[in-house]
Amino acid sequence: MLSIANLSKRHPHSARPVFSGLGLAVAAGEIVALVGESGVGKSTLLNCIAGLETADAGAILVGPQAKDIVRLDEAARAALRATGIGFVFQAFHVLPTLTVAQNVAVPLLLSGVAAREHAPRIESLLARVGLAGFGPRWPGTLSGGELQRVAIARALVHRPALILADEPTGNLDPRTADEILTLLLERVREEGASALIVTHSQHVAQSCDRILTLTPDGLQ
Amino acid sequence: MKRLAWWLIRAQFQTRRTATALSMLAIALGVALGYAIHLINDAALADFSQAMKSVQGEPDAVVAPQDSAGRVPLALINELAQDEGVALVVPVIETRVRIGELAVRLVGLDVFSAGLLMPDLLPRQGAAISGDNIFEDGMYASPALLARLGSKVPEGTHRAGAGVTATRGDATWSTRIAGDLPAARPDDLLLVADIARVQAHFGPPDGVSEGRIRLAPDTKLANWLAAWKDRLPPGLTLRAAADNQARLSNISRAYRVNLNVLAMVALLTGGFLVFATQLTAVAQRSTQFALLGVLGLAPRMRLAQVLLEGLAIGVPGAAIGLALGWAMAVAFTRLMGGDLGGGFFSGSAPVIAPEALPALGFFSLGCAASLAGALYPAWLNRMQPLAQALKTGFAQRPPHQDDSPRQRGGKVLAVALVAGAALALTQAPAVFDLPLAGYAAIALVLVLGIAAAPLVTQRVFAALARRELAAAERVAVQNVGQAPLMAQVAASGLIVSFALTVSMVTMVSSFRVALEQWLDAVLPAPYYMRSKGLPLPAELLAALERPDAPFARVERMAVGTASLDPQRPPVAVLVRELDRADPSARLPFAGEVFTAPAGNIPVWISEPMQQLYRLQTGQTLRLPLLGREVEVFVGGVWRDYSRQFGAVVIAAVDYRALGGRVEATDLALWPRRDAGDDATAQRWVREQAARHGIDGVGSGEIRALSLDIFDKSFAVTYALEAAAMLIGLFGLAVTLAASVWLRARELATLSALGFDRAMLTRAVMLEGALIAAIGLAVGLACGIAVGAILTHVVNPQAFHWRMDLQIPWLQVLPGAALTLAAGIMASRFAARQATRLPAAQVLASAQ
Repeated sequence: MLSIANLSKRHPHSARPVFSGLGLAVAAGEIVALVGESGVGKSTLLNCIAGLETADAGAILVGPQAKDIVRLDEAARAALRATGIGFVFQAFHVLPTLTVAQNVAVPLLLSGVAAREHAPRIESLLARVGLAGFGPRWPGTLSGGELQRVAIARALVHRPALILADEPTGNLDPRTADEILTLLLERVREEGASALIVTHSQHVAQSCDRILTLTPDGLQ
Repeated sequence: MKRLAWWLIRAQFQTRRTATALSMLAIALGVALGYAIHLINDAALADFSQAMKSVQGEPDAVVAPQDSAGRVPLALINELAQDEGVALVVPVIETRVRIGELAVRLVGLDVFSAGLLMPDLLPRQGAAISGDNIFEDGMYASPALLARLGSKVPEGTHRAGAGVTATRGDATWSTRIAGDLPAARPDDLLLVADIARVQAHFGPPDGVSEGRIRLAPDTKLANWLAAWKDRLPPGLTLRAAADNQARLSNISRAYRVNLNVLAMVALLTGGFLVFATQLTAVAQRSTQFALLGVLGLAPRMRLAQVLLEGLAIGVPGAAIGLALGWAMAVAFTRLMGGDLGGGFFSGSAPVIAPEALPALGFFSLGCAASLAGALYPAWLNRMQPLAQALKTGFAQRPPHQDDSPRQRGGKVLAVALVAGAALALTQAPAVFDLPLAGYAAIALVLVLGIAAAPLVTQRVFAALARRELAAAERVAVQNVGQAPLMAQVAASGLIVSFALTVSMVTMVSSFRVALEQWLDAVLPAPYYMRSKGLPLPAELLAALERPDAPFARVERMAVGTASLDPQRPPVAVLVRELDRADPSARLPFAGEVFTAPAGNIPVWISEPMQQLYRLQTGQTLRLPLLGREVEVFVGGVWRDYSRQFGAVVIAAVDYRALGGRVEATDLALWPRRDAGDDATAQRWVREQAARHGIDGVGSGEIRALSLDIFDKSFAVTYALEAAAMLIGLFGLAVTLAASVWLRARELATLSALGFDRAMLTRAVMLEGALIAAIGLAVGLACGIAVGAILTHVVNPQAFHWRMDLQIPWLQVLPGAALTLAAGIMASRFAARQATRLPAAQVLASAQ
């Protein structure tokens, strides 16, 4: 579902590459934890996979059609994100001016899912993340844990092949973090998606199918 | 996707109600002003044209003397009538007469031929009239005139059959109203009589005022005009009747264009407000847009969304503007007539009739201004680096931080090139009599100011940053010195608004000072009497000759016209009793005055006439005078702010020598020096003016009235200046608030590091003050430059008025101080907003 080969990236004005000749494969339905010290390039790798940053060399094949995101133009990368990738962030990133249901609907609108499917999918997913009846509420009235549940629903609603999660429990207290992690893994597995989860938490990492450690020398 | 766009637009409108409403209002005002001017002018032109048609009929061509003292010989009328290409020639005598206190147009015509060409002037015999009719000795009055006369005579006698006395100078015709003119326009004060009767009483004895010509159906107008061109006796002009329309349009064109430029300025300020609103909206929602980008919103859709939001402001704004424009047009025509106080179409009462195409045009202009305002914010939104924006918010790239020396050189060169282009444009001549190059130069000066502001900022603040500064001051100087985008936007708004304000104040002040000096020069006598375009009553002139008249000196002036170009309004011919050896005693000359060579007749032309007809002092000119062309010598050019289409002065002694008869229309009166005679003179003037229904006032009153009219006619510019300054300040407040909002985490960090609230407030207020000071300084420089262009390029090219530049420092500097204070207050508000939340909360919630 995700295949990376010989990936290299160097930031402008930096003498040292962030990573070089990197290789990685995530099978369909597999959940992989990516750990590593701060500044080693975990978020940069995630950004490259999502096409938010461009790699200098190498290939990143995403989704069942194995499209190489490195070779795609900006519009095609956006289209690939809209249909094939779901995102969960540490800072939740829920749009404050849209209701919970509207937030969850955004990927459906962007991926062109038929309008008649929106309401059933949103209602079902909100119920499955424990937010049944939250659809008309505004994000400002929700707790951190609830916001992250909205984000998980939004990441899964358009049934992407790959979920990218960047420190999904980093802003939550330990008990809520546990709940959210369990929920995320359950729902990802339920949807049959693959996931790459960047985390500093050993507990999160150990809950995944596989742990990869990014070091200055590469992936281990 | 449409649904997402709609959600975002609705959210934007709900969260930024005030800014959105103000932007919409500004667009609406711009559209309204432009559309109202269009509607009013269109209606006034149509109305005036209709009025002209009603009296002139619909001829194909008109033969007329080139000057008002000339005539068309009857022999020529006969010759034209015998031309095979001519179907009909209608001789007409048109003159103005006085009936009691009313000045009325009297048209003498041949009822048989005129009926075919001028059906609106066909008279109707009064039922009670048995004898007098148009073939005998009667006059026919328009309904409006009948109504006016009714208030002057005993009840019931105003109907057909009442006696009436028409006078013109020393000529008098006492007759009866024999009927009315049922087809005359409702507001026309008009008399019609048989041409022979009019000729017998008021002349001209051996000719007519005009011959109106209908060509045979197979005659081509252009060919026929060309064939007659060389056969025409001197002093006459044969023109296509359509030229009247062009002349009509030319009368108010410059005035219209200038009002439209003001409307465009209003529209541009609306565009600027949309720009400031959208930019801050983009900045504040950069994380949200970045998230949407991450989720798959295509880059072009991020651009389109901001443009759509701009359009969502522009469409209702423009629609409101159309409705407002129509309402303004209706209200203004009722209050001020069809020329917005310009004095071109006095007496017209136009009906506002909106048409689809112009409405669509102005609607599109409003939308375009709004879209243009949203363009740069949309592009910035499109170009935001998603990952970075998601993490740290809006990327305000310090634009010049990384410039290489070559890039810096390139920028300086570009600025120099723009300055050079602006300078070159100020030297360019008018295009179609319009100062288009001047307007382009003004736009370039404003662009130059905005472009130069960051360079100035960096130079000044780099120097300031090298000094020892307290912590709060250091923060402010460092931040402004980097000229971040928000600071640039805030400064740009102030630059443009203050520049426009200073330029208008400078132009108006220059004009007012020049007008005051001119009034001092052209009003040397203590009293003036003026008849409304008619020769003064003979009885009045006789009274002046009597020994008991309390005047030591009387100077007479007769006003006529001469047409030098059929497509332009005629120039005024002023026959004055002045010393031809010392014309400077009466005329405010601009430049050298030459003495005419022996045997030459000197004339002195006004600045508008010099510019319109490209004449020079010292040259000779063939001037249409007394029905022929007379070679005259241009002895000098004098300043004239009252006759926009030109005037020429000839000494009465020369005019008489050419065979002319000076029928005085204006009097300048100097009372005798004896004690108490000033009061006597004043009483005499008032009594005589009231008796004859003419104007009689002191020079002080004329002066005060002129300045009052001037101030009223520029009132709209003062309102625009105030609006421009408010918009500039609003832009400053909005962008400062956004800038502070974007830096909430930085300010919270400073707070955590030991800055107390007072220090943070001081830092933010100082930033606002510095930005405002830069905006005002650059705006002042640009304003003076634009004021100079308005005074020395736009005014002479549009209105043919020249004047010296006067910068009203006593208005400009307090204005700048007030704006600075308002800017500081806006910053204080932003600072209070920024420091309202506890730093810990800001830091905790910062993303």
